[in-house]
Amino acid sequence: MLKYIIKRALWVIPTLLGVLILLFGLTYLMPGDPASAMLGPRATPELVAEINQRMHLDRAMPVRLGYYLAGVVKGDLGTSVWSGHKVSSLLAEALPHTALLALTSLGIAAVIGILLGAFAAVRRNSPIGGCVTIVSLLGVAVPDFVAALLLMLLFCVLVPILPALGAGTPGDPVDILMHLILPATALGIGWVGYLARLTRESMLDVLDSDYIRTSRAFAIPGKTITYRYALKNAVIPSITVIGLGVGKLLGGAVFVEIIFSRPGLGKLIVDSVHARDFPVVQGGILVATLLFVLANLIADISYAFVDPRIQYE
Amino acid sequence: MNTESTQQTEVGCPPGQLMFKRKWTDTLRVTFRAVIKVKGGLWGGIFISIMLICAIGAQWIAPSDPNAQDIMSRFAAPSRDHFFGTDYLGRDIFSRIVYGCRIAVLVAFGTVTFSSVIGVFLGVVSGYNEGKKLDYFIIWLFDIIRSFPQIILALGIVAVLGPSLFNVVIALAFTAFPFYGRIARAQTLSVKQADYVKAAEAMGLKPFQIIMRHITPNIMAPVIVCLGMDMATMIVWESGLSFLGLGVRPPEASWGIMLRNGYKYMQTSPWMLLWPALAISLAMIAFSLFSEGLRVALDPKERER
Repeated sequence: MLKYIIKRALWVIPTLLGVLILLFGLTYLMPGDPASAMLGPRATPELVAEINQRMHLDRAMPVRLGYYLAGVVKGDLGTSVWSGHKVSSLLAEALPHTALLALTSLGIAAVIGILLGAFAAVRRNSPIGGCVTIVSLLGVAVPDFVAALLLMLLFCVLVPILPALGAGTPGDPVDILMHLILPATALGIGWVGYLARLTRESMLDVLDSDYIRTSRAFAIPGKTITYRYALKNAVIPSITVIGLGVGKLLGGAVFVEIIFSRPGLGKLIVDSVHARDFPVVQGGILVATLLFVLANLIADISYAFVDPRIQYE
Repeated sequence: MNTESTQQTEVGCPPGQLMFKRKWTDTLRVTFRAVIKVKGGLWGGIFISIMLICAIGAQWIAPSDPNAQDIMSRFAAPSRDHFFGTDYLGRDIFSRIVYGCRIAVLVAFGTVTFSSVIGVFLGVVSGYNEGKKLDYFIIWLFDIIRSFPQIILALGIVAVLGPSLFNVVIALAFTAFPFYGRIARAQTLSVKQADYVKAAEAMGLKPFQIIMRHITPNIMAPVIVCLGMDMATMIVWESGLSFLGLGVRPPEASWGIMLRNGYKYMQTSPWMLLWPALAISLAMIAFSLFSEGLRVALDPKERER
């Protein structure tokens, strides 16, 4: 297993290298001239030449790629073309908002979804089963950004009980929480249904398996069987799905942040795309990708730990 | 190895059966029948047909031009003149929804066609050359693109190419093809062990012919199931990109652009938001029901249940 984990972790290195090359390639293909975008009407040939030299824009493509890679390794993602701030500090400002939103919605969705699915599997003919079906259908039918719009319409316009815009005053936990409810719900609702359905299916499979029957024969209490023995194996598929889902979650966060005007990573990326501020777009995409790669790595490794039955070559 | 393959050609199919070729229209018809036998598949099929009809015959179905402005009746609530109401320029929302089907269908079919053709081809090539340098290179390529959160990569590509319908299709297809590639590769690994592939090799067919004629047709079932679900996702993402102002350009009637306008005027005329939201939701339900039907229809294990 250790060999598998090391192999899996090492594979990240060439992948990330490819990610950086692709990101660099995107900027390289970007139409327009960063220097004149930065300077605006003040652009004189000398100033443009100076900026080109400072940003290594006058060098050949491989040299620029080398500068870019070296910069990323040192943690230097360049400076914003518009504001002149360091990209890394812009990202550091935005990231906590996105992390809070993503973790809250995923955490709540995982707990509710997995428990709902487990209940539905244990009490096969109870109304909870129907509830799971409805919630998962809703999750499929209403994509996160449509959910965000509808929730906003419902709770900010028709019944104005929750704040619509912003992330709340810093340092005021109640205000921050109030501002978090709607975005987190919008982002998490699809996950509740999905995880509930997944857990129900795998729980039904697990409950039919031999080791559960054996435990019953040993007169182990039903609750212990369900929640300690069965659920542990039934959540395994959910772990991979959550790992893969972090990418979707970050993507959904883009829309939710734009709609609720939360100053997070997604809003930063979209605003910079509109402003043609490509160093920031590049940095933002890179950070989102790093988070996603990390989440996948953790999911794969924890998968190996949780399910020792799986044999890896 | 050598004796094994000679044996197989001797025992292999009789020449008549080797020549037998099923027409693809037959395959399509049989599959479609199986899908609509599944409970949800029928409803999904009906909804998708309605969408297709709206997309093809938009100019006959829509009561007015989607871009015809009527400043006198701006923000009109749903009424007999305007079933779904009008927007901030007095454009008929019902007509715009109908025309929006066209963009949704174009994006859905366009992206999955691009991404599945490229993805399946690369996946089969990679699986056929398992363990060789080419295989590792293609896996590396897939893994790079899969490392990005899909919609965020699409955002970046659209930012570079500039917003337009075609560029949205390209960007979405680019982010999606590795997923088909992974499926195709995994399937190829099992299919290439089959006797008929070995027979084809023994007959001296070129790798390209084997890939195109003998492997690809036999790995399509899981790919097709994936296509159905992917179409729904692509419709949503197109709307999402258009909502952000990075997709189809206004005044084109895309559901995403309508949502964007609805978002702006949410407080005064919520119907501007509700109708496109409903359209997207119905499309999502339709495509997921249909692809669920496809999955059941194409999976022999499920059919027995």
